[in-house]
Amino acid sequence: MFNRRNLIRLIIAVAFALLSLGLVPEGWKHMRVALPALSPLLSLGGALAALSVSVVTLLGVPLLLLPLFKGRFFCWRLCPMGFLAESVGRLNFWNKSSLRKIPFVGKPLALLVIGSAAAGYPVLIWTDPLSVFNGFFAAWRMPLSMVSGLTAVGFVMILLTSLLAPNIWCHRLCPLGGLQEMLANLAKRIRAPATATTTERPIENVMVARRTLLGMAVGGFSGIAYRALSGRMSARMSATEALETGGRGKAQGGGCGRAMGRGVGRGRGHCGSDVATAPYIRPPGAAAEAFNALCARCGNCMSACPYGLLVPDLGSSGIDGLFTPVMLFRSRNSEQERFCFQECTACTKVCPTGAISSLTRNEKQQTAIGVAHVSKRKCLAWEKGEYCMVCQEFCPYHAIEEVERNGVMCPVVDTDKCRGCGACESQCPALPIAIVISGRQTQARLAHPSPYLNNAS
Amino acid sequence: MKDIKRRSFLKGTAAVTTLPAVGITALAEGAPSATVIVVHGKDIAKMVEAGIAKLGGWGAFIKPGMKVAIKPNVAWNSTPEQGGNTHPEIVRACVLAAQAQGAAKIDLPENTCHDEKSTFATSGVEAALKGTKARLYRPDKKDYQEVEMPNGKIVKRAEVPKDILGCDCLINIPVAKHHSGATLTLSMKNWLGSVSNKDRRSWHRDGLHQCIADINTLIKPKLVVIDATRIMLTKGPQGPGELAHPDEIILSTDTVAADAYAATLFKKEPFDVPHIKIAHEMGIGCGDLKKIKVERIEV
Repeated sequence: MFNRRNLIRLIIAVAFALLSLGLVPEGWKHMRVALPALSPLLSLGGALAALSVSVVTLLGVPLLLLPLFKGRFFCWRLCPMGFLAESVGRLNFWNKSSLRKIPFVGKPLALLVIGSAAAGYPVLIWTDPLSVFNGFFAAWRMPLSMVSGLTAVGFVMILLTSLLAPNIWCHRLCPLGGLQEMLANLAKRIRAPATATTTERPIENVMVARRTLLGMAVGGFSGIAYRALSGRMSARMSATEALETGGRGKAQGGGCGRAMGRGVGRGRGHCGSDVATAPYIRPPGAAAEAFNALCARCGNCMSACPYGLLVPDLGSSGIDGLFTPVMLFRSRNSEQERFCFQECTACTKVCPTGAISSLTRNEKQQTAIGVAHVSKRKCLAWEKGEYCMVCQEFCPYHAIEEVERNGVMCPVVDTDKCRGCGACESQCPALPIAIVISGRQTQARLAHPSPYLNNAS
Repeated sequence: MKDIKRRSFLKGTAAVTTLPAVGITALAEGAPSATVIVVHGKDIAKMVEAGIAKLGGWGAFIKPGMKVAIKPNVAWNSTPEQGGNTHPEIVRACVLAAQAQGAAKIDLPENTCHDEKSTFATSGVEAALKGTKARLYRPDKKDYQEVEMPNGKIVKRAEVPKDILGCDCLINIPVAKHHSGATLTLSMKNWLGSVSNKDRRSWHRDGLHQCIADINTLIKPKLVVIDATRIMLTKGPQGPGELAHPDEIILSTDTVAADAYAATLFKKEPFDVPHIKIAHEMGIGCGDLKKIKVERIEV
């Protein structure tokens, strides 16, 4: 067991764990995208679904080519998840493999992911082992909490499965393993010399091709079905959101009166513009469509956030959005005094699938992730006539206008400038908090970004 | 209820601002008169030196072996030109002087509003302190101590950095700028950048201007140096906003007097800034321009 091969595997696993944990020099932290992106299911699958290619996409190419020459070399020699699953399996002394009864589920699973990715809505992309491995270590970040640890669930499940049924993950379930095996077999078939071909070989080839196409087609259909379903779900959710919040339309400031609740998904009646709000806040650069499908739950964005704002969602973005990243500002996490800082792009640099696309500082500063809302009834200035304006003080976007009322300045949000960064919410002195961010259903370029932003260094 | 409050407030302001003008100074009686040194020029280090010389030189404030605490205003991730923070050269001049006087320890606790790493870097203050023995840091829980403030009207307790409470010489070096909540932020308001976030928040709830005056009954700097080399006229305190360039540094041992003079740079009567008026009435210092001796120096 303790041979050279396993020593190398151990070193690789530790190295990747350290990278996911963020225990690397400052300049290296964005490299944590490398591990999950090595899986072509994530990097190439994501690129296929979003129809956009980046440098990260290229990281998936080696594992597409390697099996053509070396079979499942990656699985048996390099994969950190495989190494751990195998090691845990060795602890099992009572149940020696009953693998034969089970088909190689990983193969159709991989085809399902690829086929549905082609339809724009990858299904089960989060079953990828590298994403699962990464998710476990990415969960160990400060401050530790029950919720932040949820990306570790998949890892624990794989290890438990491996303990009960050794080797079942690598040999039967793993979609990345399935992909490697299929590619290896493909290479074998192509390489097989024509002379050695028995009469049965062509028929077998046809069968394999047929099965592959069938798998992809099923994937494609599930992708299309998923797209249709999620369209419906989000429509229903925004309708609920509008119902829940529409009543507050009147409280929104500055004479815009009751521009509230115009139809489905137009909640909160903001001044001058209709901002469709959502009950969750996504990190900047999040895909407008199919985010839940694209997100591999690898935990990278959450551990990359220097302020610990991103946590796994518990259902506010729908059942298919479970464990996807959402931002929690102070009203939902009373310990949180930080906000989505305008100079920071950390979370946008580490997504393996392109669910969050990489943004430059300027792009981020103009991408609205949410919108602030002042509740006049709670606001110290509006309700009690106190000198406050802390929200304006902290707003990096100059999105808080002041209205004079009995000699005291009172805040009104300019939704064309508000990026939803949460700076106001993080510092609002009112109890309960009077200015709160709602997510935007689709992130938007700010209509009138503050002209000062680009000057700031 | 609110209207009455406002009316009485306006009346009070009118009384204090107009009465002295007609020669009746009874209202302000009992408050000590004060001296404010105003240095005009371009070379910041020389300006600070010239101003201090007028106040008796650094030796009058810092003796060898003293623990010195300095409170700049470095709250925002903005550049020195934008005027959101105290100019790094002023911070450096004070730190170098303290070092030359043989200070045992120089601490600059600063509860920044933006993330401290980028704030200290962008403000240029971190770089300005390189090579000195000064320690610029954002205090966390263990750096704070809760103390009583018996003379406070609203605030009776505050969490203040230990380094400020325990120092032998405290120097306040704020920047003068517009403030959407406090009208202006000058030297007295600067202590809100020292106290804990909990206090900072609750004071906005409880009557900001009175709370600003209250904290100044506890924290009493030996020297106030206000940076008015460039002043932010709008969009404060964060900015960037419209700038003016008075090219002045204001020095005084009276924090209220320094603020009262600084308010005039914004074309405001000192008592139009409620916390200056309150502080004057509480006897923290002299905010009455008539009783303040302004000495001007050109460098």
